[in-house]
Amino acid sequence: MRFRPNPTTNPISWLHLTSMVLGSVLLPPLLETPTKAAKPNAFSRVIAPALKSHCVKCHGAGEDTEGEVNLRTLKAEQLGSDPELLGRLMRVLDLEEMPPDYDSPTLDRKLRQELIEELRRMRRIAISEGHQHPHTPIRRMNRFQYNNAVVDLFDLKCNVFTLPERMMRDHGGYFQPETGRIPDVVNVGSRPLGKSQMIEPRLAGVAAFPQDLRAEHGYDNQGDHLSLSPLLMEAFLKLGQSIPDSPDFGPRNVGVWDEFFATPADSVELEPEVRRRLKPFLRRAFRRSIDEEQLARYAEFADRQLAAGIPFPDVMKSLAAATLASPKFLYLYDKSSDEQTSETIDDFELASRLSFFLWGSLPDATLLDLATTGQLSEPEVLHEQIERMLKDKKLKRFCDSFPSQWLQLERIISSVPDREKFPKFYFSKYRASMHMMLEPLLLFEAVVVENRPVTQLIDPDFSYRSDFLNAAYGDLASQPVQRRGAEVAVARFRRMPVTDRRTGGVITNLATMTMTSGPDRTQPITRGAWVASVIFNNPPKPPPADVPPLAEKPPENEKHLTLRERLALHRKRSDCKGCHEKIDPLGFALENFSPVGQWREKYENDRDIDPSGQLFRRHAFDDVIEFKRAILSEKDRFTRALAGHLLSFALARELEAADQPALDQITQATAADDDKMQTLITQVILSEPFQKKSTPKVESPTDHQPD
Amino acid sequence: MTKILSRRHFLRGLGGTALALPWLESLAATGSASGVPLRMVQFYVPIGVVRRGFFPGEADDVIPKGNLGNVMRSLGKQDPKFHAKPLTQLTPTLQPLERIKHKITLITGMDRTFQQGTDVHAQCASCFLSSAKPYTIEGSAWPLDRTLDHIVADHIGQTTPFRTLELSCNSHKDNKESIYFDNISWYGTGHLAPSIRDPRKVYRRLFSTRENSQYQAITDLVLEDAHDLKKDLGYIDRQKFAEYFESIRTIEKQMSRLETMKSELAKVAIEEPPEAYLPRGDYIRLMGDLMVVALQSGLTNVATFMVGPERWDTPYMFEGLFDKPRSHHQMSHNQTKMIDDLLKVDHFHMQQYVYLLEKMDKIEQADGTSLLDNTLMTYGSGLGDGSTHQYNDLPIIVAGGGKRMQSGLHINMPEGTPLANLWLTQARMLGLPLQDFADSTGTIDALIG
Repeated sequence: MRFRPNPTTNPISWLHLTSMVLGSVLLPPLLETPTKAAKPNAFSRVIAPALKSHCVKCHGAGEDTEGEVNLRTLKAEQLGSDPELLGRLMRVLDLEEMPPDYDSPTLDRKLRQELIEELRRMRRIAISEGHQHPHTPIRRMNRFQYNNAVVDLFDLKCNVFTLPERMMRDHGGYFQPETGRIPDVVNVGSRPLGKSQMIEPRLAGVAAFPQDLRAEHGYDNQGDHLSLSPLLMEAFLKLGQSIPDSPDFGPRNVGVWDEFFATPADSVELEPEVRRRLKPFLRRAFRRSIDEEQLARYAEFADRQLAAGIPFPDVMKSLAAATLASPKFLYLYDKSSDEQTSETIDDFELASRLSFFLWGSLPDATLLDLATTGQLSEPEVLHEQIERMLKDKKLKRFCDSFPSQWLQLERIISSVPDREKFPKFYFSKYRASMHMMLEPLLLFEAVVVENRPVTQLIDPDFSYRSDFLNAAYGDLASQPVQRRGAEVAVARFRRMPVTDRRTGGVITNLATMTMTSGPDRTQPITRGAWVASVIFNNPPKPPPADVPPLAEKPPENEKHLTLRERLALHRKRSDCKGCHEKIDPLGFALENFSPVGQWREKYENDRDIDPSGQLFRRHAFDDVIEFKRAILSEKDRFTRALAGHLLSFALARELEAADQPALDQITQATAADDDKMQTLITQVILSEPFQKKSTPKVESPTDHQPD
Repeated sequence: MTKILSRRHFLRGLGGTALALPWLESLAATGSASGVPLRMVQFYVPIGVVRRGFFPGEADDVIPKGNLGNVMRSLGKQDPKFHAKPLTQLTPTLQPLERIKHKITLITGMDRTFQQGTDVHAQCASCFLSSAKPYTIEGSAWPLDRTLDHIVADHIGQTTPFRTLELSCNSHKDNKESIYFDNISWYGTGHLAPSIRDPRKVYRRLFSTRENSQYQAITDLVLEDAHDLKKDLGYIDRQKFAEYFESIRTIEKQMSRLETMKSELAKVAIEEPPEAYLPRGDYIRLMGDLMVVALQSGLTNVATFMVGPERWDTPYMFEGLFDKPRSHHQMSHNQTKMIDDLLKVDHFHMQQYVYLLEKMDKIEQADGTSLLDNTLMTYGSGLGDGSTHQYNDLPIIVAGGGKRMQSGLHINMPEGTPLANLWLTQARMLGLPLQDFADSTGTIDALIG
């Protein structure tokens, strides 16, 4: 039985509940209690009576069932087999979103806890009873992964193509994770907005295929977004050919030239030599052991070409081109399993999951060797390897892909504040956002490389800024302020103390404040939605389409109002309240930051700004410092949210109910180790969803039964 | 300073040779007794139109205020009954059609069904040509299925080097929106036929035959790998992996067809477009020119053409219309204030459509008819109005078709007629023996000549 929204009932009330599907509840105890069958009468004893007295008035039978959840007729078996519905109920209870204020009698705090616990127990059973982890579909590499994989396969000394999605460019090689420290001074550039930052050593004559778009609330590696079309296939074929054909593809740029492409000495017999070279090359490219049949196919292709008199390096180049076009290279996939339920991945799959997660690329020889001998999955070996990978320079690929997407930083590229109101944002042909976007990325790198607590992403005591960027903070700048023009190509960013706690972290920085604003005014709702999605991994549903946007400039009769009052005026509809009570406080907390992130106490009409509010209807705050403190007092929720983002990125899919218990475990293990970032990453890797696959060979006979 | 154009310089080559382009006799024609192939072009207009400017009889209707996204129906009253009468007076937005109105038919009253659960703009574009019956696509809220162009190409695109051609005049550099906003052509649910945005890429795809021959040697090898890999996959993945085989097979066919056309295409001295910023109108017309050459030379018989992407709030320049970059989408939510500017955009898009119609009408075919006479070229938008976000009463114009189509008419379909009825009608006119298409309920007989 699967829950399916009924399209004919009110779609708006449905929003309240659907927005809570993905996340789940985080309350002590974090770990679900060990498997113990639910008390058979828990439903009739606790849940059913509570639903009856607190919920069915609105969520009962009838045409207008709110949220399209009919709790009046809900049976124990029905609820017990629907982990998503269980998760939704837990969530609305935990975040005190339901029952609403006007409910009477109010839900007793103890009863609320008890309900959550019972629902949690039911969900654990629901998940363990034959439900499998969601399947990550076979998918081709995205172009970022393709670039990295080709670089690694040939040990190229340059890039294949220059990718704007790698936002921050490293000038001078500051990124040395083996040192466990990001230097105090780094030279960086912004690829999308800086000057000449897209010009870097690469293979001439090789054209990139189109950028793969980021999934909504997801990542650009998501399986359902990465399909192949004849047009793209053609592009891949062309690419595969153009890479070894590039004039730059020679001994100087290609690290594996001598061991693969170079003509062997006259004394060497060619046929066995080709086979000797091919085997490790194909294993590397295809991430699996190579059987004789496969080897023979490629080798015979080479034999034929050699017999036709084609020079040895050219023959090897066509082999390389074929390898790059092979689906075994292009596609990421797990082998089928015999069981219908989840199964542990094999060591080669583990090697690939690890390397595509942390390096955005192929496993290296060490990982493949350990997979070949079956040692990689041994706990000690795995820990060692994770540690090694986190110290490898290739970790830069993780830092080049995950944080910018997690923080939705691409939005700053299209931020264009009003030129007249915010003239300082623009200088010569450039925008200050060029420097702004680099600050949160450098902070993220420092937290990862230096293994700092994840809480420092919210409220760190340091940041990386250029002098220009620091000065742009105005009143909030780190002292002393050095005034200097903006460097547009290579910018010098320094680690500086954050003395004013109003700034610092991934929320209160100029980039985030600017990209969540419109050209003329701040957009507290946008900011709130950003905080809900990024910080708490609980994205609100888009507003109903019939809500008019608030005008950028207030009309005459609203000029005396604050933005909060104007929004309240435009949001009188009761069906808007549910979501907005949730997201608005998160955005209004940041109202002291202008559309370009400047501190302000008053609006243009001289009215005072009121940033006060409550987080989760639980923590009152009066200013942004208290807001950040409130977030930190719920730090495990943030850790859990970040764990969800990381896991979703690592598995290239959205998370579902079956993944939720793993997030609790990751969070608890991370909290037990001082919230350290590398512990979080390690725990994501050790989690069940990362270690399991659901790829049944044959269709389950029950899959097609009607709901 | 951005280096502006030289489209004209380029077109001296293209336009001139295009008109003089030899009719490629080697190409077998399908679906036509005269030996001239039938073609289909879908010209997609994003974000609806201003109803008052476009639809006869709605000039005085109320102007939608702000964003009326949940209204999803016309504010004014529509004629619920069928009629077909000569198209005499043209509304302001239709004015550019004046000279060619004898070769077009305006069709009003066509509806699509919105399926809740996905973005309204994303669905109106991506499902414009599919309109699957609601809830028939497994695991998806989208009524997104194999689109009309691919179904038609299965019939009339089998002998051309390219089954279909997908173009989108989207010059945005940010990838702000997902694929659903920028593509109206799909091989099937979740399987995109990606549109090309860059005229140089279009050019290379169409006219650069050299690379193709190089693939032959390696495709055999990788196909073996693919068969190998398939054995290792679970059942869900095996289904998705079919895309790989399909892609390789398509390319192989394409290669062998291009091979046969090589010598003839070599006679076409077409320059590669320059890598320079083009004003919006020039950019659209250059993309259109390339499409017309592809149709004319027999490189393809089926094309989809988005004159701009859906939604995409980022402003861009409409040179000649406004001094500053503007966002079509944002204007559409402010009709009370910006109706005049929006009307300019609608008029501008109509001019581009007419440019292509007139261009195609000047190209003579082997039997003396024009390229346009042998093409069904539809202008249409997935929204009836950018403010109300209505999926009903869509703006639709069908042009060309020669004697196969009744033109010079204004046909109004009865309330609730699915847009799929038009697609079914067109598919039949192109010779496809279809019983129905998506959620169709019949054909538009008044359109059939």
